[in-house]
Amino acid sequence: MIGRAFLATFRAILSDSSAMMLLIGSCILYAFFYPSAYSGEVAERMPVAVVDMDHSGTSRALEIRLRAVQQAEVTARPPSPAAALRLLKARQVGAIVVIPEGFERRILSGGQGVVALYGNGAYLLRTSTALAGVGAALGAVGREAAVDQAMAQGAPAPPALAMIQRPLFNTREGYGATIFPGVAFLIIQQTLLMGLALLAATMREQQGALSFAPRTLLGIALAFFVIGCANVAWFTGFVFWFQDYPRAQADPVALLASAALFVAATVAGALALGSFFRTRERPIQLWIVTSVPIFFLSGLSWPKEATPHWLTLAAKLLPTTPGIRLMVGVNQMGASLSEQRGELINLAALILLYGAIALWRYRPRTA
Amino acid sequence: MASAFASALRREARFLATHFWDLALVTWVPLALMALVAVQLSAGVMRELPIVVVDHDGTAISRELTRRLDAAPGVSVVARPGEMGAAERLVRSGKAYAVVLIPVDTERAVLRGTTASITTFYNASYSTPAGAALREVGNVVQGYAAALAPTQTAAVAGPGKVRRPPIAAQSAVLFNPQGSYELQLVALIHPALLHLIFMVAAASALGRELRDGTIGAWIGDEPPARAAAAVAGKLALYLAIFTGWGLLAIGYVAGLRGWPVAGSVAMLIAGYAAMYLAYIGVTLLVVGLTLTMGKALSVAGLYAGASFAFAGAIFPIESASAFARLWSALLPYSAFAKLLAEQWIMAAPVTQSARQLLAMLAFLLVGGAIGLPRYLSAAQRPETWGRR
Repeated sequence: MIGRAFLATFRAILSDSSAMMLLIGSCILYAFFYPSAYSGEVAERMPVAVVDMDHSGTSRALEIRLRAVQQAEVTARPPSPAAALRLLKARQVGAIVVIPEGFERRILSGGQGVVALYGNGAYLLRTSTALAGVGAALGAVGREAAVDQAMAQGAPAPPALAMIQRPLFNTREGYGATIFPGVAFLIIQQTLLMGLALLAATMREQQGALSFAPRTLLGIALAFFVIGCANVAWFTGFVFWFQDYPRAQADPVALLASAALFVAATVAGALALGSFFRTRERPIQLWIVTSVPIFFLSGLSWPKEATPHWLTLAAKLLPTTPGIRLMVGVNQMGASLSEQRGELINLAALILLYGAIALWRYRPRTA
Repeated sequence: MASAFASALRREARFLATHFWDLALVTWVPLALMALVAVQLSAGVMRELPIVVVDHDGTAISRELTRRLDAAPGVSVVARPGEMGAAERLVRSGKAYAVVLIPVDTERAVLRGTTASITTFYNASYSTPAGAALREVGNVVQGYAAALAPTQTAAVAGPGKVRRPPIAAQSAVLFNPQGSYELQLVALIHPALLHLIFMVAAASALGRELRDGTIGAWIGDEPPARAAAAVAGKLALYLAIFTGWGLLAIGYVAGLRGWPVAGSVAMLIAGYAAMYLAYIGVTLLVVGLTLTMGKALSVAGLYAGASFAFAGAIFPIESASAFARLWSALLPYSAFAKLLAEQWIMAAPVTQSARQLLAMLAFLLVGGAIGLPRYLSAAQRPETWGRR
């Protein structure tokens, strides 16, 4: 009975082109389509305007050194800060460096020349990366400039403490490698939900309220479980390799167990949700619009610490919330199952909850 | 003409009034999704991000550094494991975003007058919070070094040597001095949600008539001009509803959350209207070409669902592949995101944003010119009806 339901489910999927497209086609399409948005990976050299109001030897030397900075490219030398602001608003430059009047005089008299750096707050993420880069570069330039000053004043003392920064796990640090390995599991969840619900709603249009014996339901669930696992394998095995994202850091048992739990929770959730739809197109119509909020709720881009506590609890009802954390944990961070205990328990609880709802919703009705 | 427009509008309103889920899609569903995002991001800046400190030095200086880290608003020291292995386990289990390692002999190095290096390992898999934690740790280390200079360093190297570095950079973020992600993200995510829901609703409204075979009775016998006016009337209802949602989105962030529109509010509202008109153009194209409600919905999801990644508003699209840049240019949302940055945040000249308005209206013209005739002619071809 399980086997028959399993095969019948595959036949139903194969004979419905929209379901095929959702369950299988979209994962193939998205694997190449979505990462292309981040194909630039590391931020490019940001165009910078330099406003030199000092017109001294030191300011010119500083500007020449700025041209060698890796994060920035001096593309304009407007005469005034106001002119530079116009360039910034027209998006021709991303940041402004202002060398104030009296810059050289202050350095030579033993003081500190302060260069002002302005970033564009309309593009916050890019701006903070570029400002940090240019700021660090200015510090290096400053050390060279110290030599001139030292001739008159003696060398300054080194700082007491300095910080070295080292990335863990996702050492390439591209935008794509940060976002897509989470988005992949959102895609798997959403396509599985919509594909399954579309099929269930189509059947319901034809036969009225659906009811399955528990063993039949298990066979149906297994068919979608196989598709979900194939999609996970496709993303973690091929796409992450193809895009050169961090992958498969944990041991194989942890990878398999994590994938199985995530897919099982998603299938259980999809079966439960699918039981509520009566019209074939309705699941796409109502569910396709939820992806962006669901991704933010996973906490990958916006931390759970900065999210209202009750919302982080409610978000645990979505398989992607523990699922994305778990899959990023085992694929990128090499986490062990015991380190991801919380997410695993969360997923297991969802399997029980949604499994029970599905069993009840599809319970055989005695006429 | 006007009567065809008005009666189609009334007909669609009657349909929505009697169909719970179709009404939901344009009423509480957008409201709920917008509220969800607004509530989640209402903190704006990330505070008290958990970090751990591995103190191998165990001296007054290392303890003071730990205390200063814990006191900093951006981070919170949640554990002080004895060794790196335990610290990394905490990061891998999601309990901390960064590990600050204070090595042996930190105090000795400081007292000798040399530089002691503090290493911060951060979880680059969670780059937004880890990056914020990293910047905060950097500020604390720098601040403590400055505080140590007059006491520690001067005692060893002599007071004349204590001088600030000759060149310093002072960074400021224009237009958003607090660096709040609330303004940046909520202002952009709301229209990202709205244009997707709008396109799904518009594709449903047009596609439904084909699926149910009601298009013939509706406009099949009308002359083309009246039929086109009826289609316009049907879609005008959605345009009005979603422009209302746009106003609410602006009102929430600008009025309630205190991020006033720096430029022209009228331009911003015009931007919303132009964006919806642009997606009407694309919807007409998609429905006209597929003539199937389900397929049109799938295409709408694919096309309008990934706008946020391709718009170049958060992640730079300029450095992406040629395909990605082309795709970005083919999304009206990209033009809207530019207009939003210009008018809401930067207060750029209105003439500059007028270019984005024209770009969006071009989608309506091109999409409508191709899609509308096909849709209208399908009204007279019953063989195109009822496709699933």
